[in-house]
Amino acid sequence: MTPPAPRRDKGLVRPYVVTDGRAHPTRNTFDLVTLVMAHGDLPIGGLSPEKRALMELCLGGALSVAEIAGHLMLPVSVTKVLLGDLVDSGHLSTRAPIPSAQLPEAQILQEVLDGLRARL
Amino acid sequence: MSHHIPEAVIWCLAVALTAVLILLVRQRGITAGVRRRVAQLEESLQARDEEVRHLVGVRLPAVAETMNQPVPLPGPLDERLAGTVFAQSLQSALELFTQAVDKAQARADQSAKAALKASMRALQGLAHEQQLAISDMQDRHDNPDVLRDLLEIDHANSQFGRRAQAIAVLCGSWPGRQRVASQLTDVVRGATSRIRDYRRVRVHSQADIAVVSRVVEPVVLAVAELLDNAARHSQPNTTVEVSLQPVHNGAVVIIDDAGVGMDGQEVQHAVALLSGQRVVDVSRLGDPPQFGFPVIGVLAARYGFSVSVDTRSPYGGVRAVLFLPSALLTHLEIDGPGTTPLRHPAATGTGRGTTGAPRSQQPPVRSPERPPAPEEFPAGHPDRLADDAPAVTGSTAGGLPKRRRRQPPAPRPAAPPPAESPSERTAEQTARIMGAFARGTRSGRDACDPPVTGGPTGPADHGAPTPDDEGKPPA
Repeated sequence: MTPPAPRRDKGLVRPYVVTDGRAHPTRNTFDLVTLVMAHGDLPIGGLSPEKRALMELCLGGALSVAEIAGHLMLPVSVTKVLLGDLVDSGHLSTRAPIPSAQLPEAQILQEVLDGLRARL
Repeated sequence: MSHHIPEAVIWCLAVALTAVLILLVRQRGITAGVRRRVAQLEESLQARDEEVRHLVGVRLPAVAETMNQPVPLPGPLDERLAGTVFAQSLQSALELFTQAVDKAQARADQSAKAALKASMRALQGLAHEQQLAISDMQDRHDNPDVLRDLLEIDHANSQFGRRAQAIAVLCGSWPGRQRVASQLTDVVRGATSRIRDYRRVRVHSQADIAVVSRVVEPVVLAVAELLDNAARHSQPNTTVEVSLQPVHNGAVVIIDDAGVGMDGQEVQHAVALLSGQRVVDVSRLGDPPQFGFPVIGVLAARYGFSVSVDTRSPYGGVRAVLFLPSALLTHLEIDGPGTTPLRHPAATGTGRGTTGAPRSQQPPVRSPERPPAPEEFPAGHPDRLADDAPAVTGSTAGGLPKRRRRQPPAPRPAAPPPAESPSERTAEQTARIMGAFARGTRSGRDACDPPVTGGPTGPADHGAPTPDDEGKPPA
């Protein structure tokens, strides 16, 4: 394996430059496992380098907030600020992860149905 | 006979008188000569006194003042002394004094620089340490309020680090940090993050130019000083425009401010400092000390880029242009390998896979998984998905064996029996189970007291899976 290609130097661009000094995301809907999906139809030319990298990441498919933060090598809270901006501008949309407990269990439904049929 | 005697006396007297007269006249001439000589000597003595006083009062202080800068020094006062031994002695005294002053100056400068450098290196180390701690905290804390405070601390710490770094560089130290080769955009934004008014800086073009590792930190420091100057000498409501342009022999960073600008003398002074030719005296940077241009000059001379500030900005202020020759530039592919595997997991080359591997690991799992899920397993059991994953691995790409880790090893043997048994039940069995369940619940509720609701449900739960209990409750 070749040594890892040079990546962004983490200490070079500080997070406050990335978020332009903001710490609060414009919306408070992001969780570590919130899934983010990109809308490829909007231009990404005018975005900051981090936002462009984020869009390019997300264009490949839905990613969770934690994964995005890991790939961009940014703190999660900073990533949330960026995500809030991008959702506001319509570049991204979010989807809360579906908790597995709420999924309808077709087997049980079938059993209930069968039971009811047998009963009535 | 007696007449002869007075005559002889008279003659003698006459001769003597004449002799005296002649002597007198001669003596007078000699006296006048001596007096003239004395006057001359007095005058000469006075001139030397004056000359010595001039030396002590004017020439030596001038030498001490001007240091080692090429400024014309005041010459001797009296032209008549030129070429005399006295003048030569004075000259050699002056030279000795000059040498002594230079030596003392150099020593003082050296020790001042050494002391400053050592203390600034210590401060730099502390600033780096603190930055790491702050970065850790930023990673760890998810609360926006905490993050806001951390960002402020981070900002102050970055400025503090830059100051220490600038002084250390001025004192002959290296910038104190080695970075990987970085995009010029990131370099400029890194510089932006080290000045107070970073929000006013607008970086425009996204040129695909990168700076070699060796000069990243020096260029960051130089651009930061230029940006700081630009932001400090312009109004707070104006912006500082930065544009990056590739040129034939390299690349330029153009920094425009809408500030007060510089007059001719200031520009000359700045050009002299930025050339890096003049030896910078740390004790003579003014009060408050002006580090900016001297630091840029030192860095530019040492690392081979150049900075000019002698053009006027179209915004009315100063246009600073930092030119990076091609030798200091390189080309990076940061974003390319990272994002392509996301779209085409199978098409990733082996060489680029190093950076792409962590990214391509996840998405292929997700994308093939989602379509089959509604068809085959709408229940979405985690173990079902794990069962499904190896098949996907085999079909899409053989180079991604890591996904096998997603299978939970322990639950697998335990999970299938309960999952399998319901599917094998016939409708009749199921109906019996449901019937038993309902009957059990009803009989339990009938048998027990109304307040104790937990008791009947317990047996009912246990009774549900096993058909053997079916007959007992209704009997």
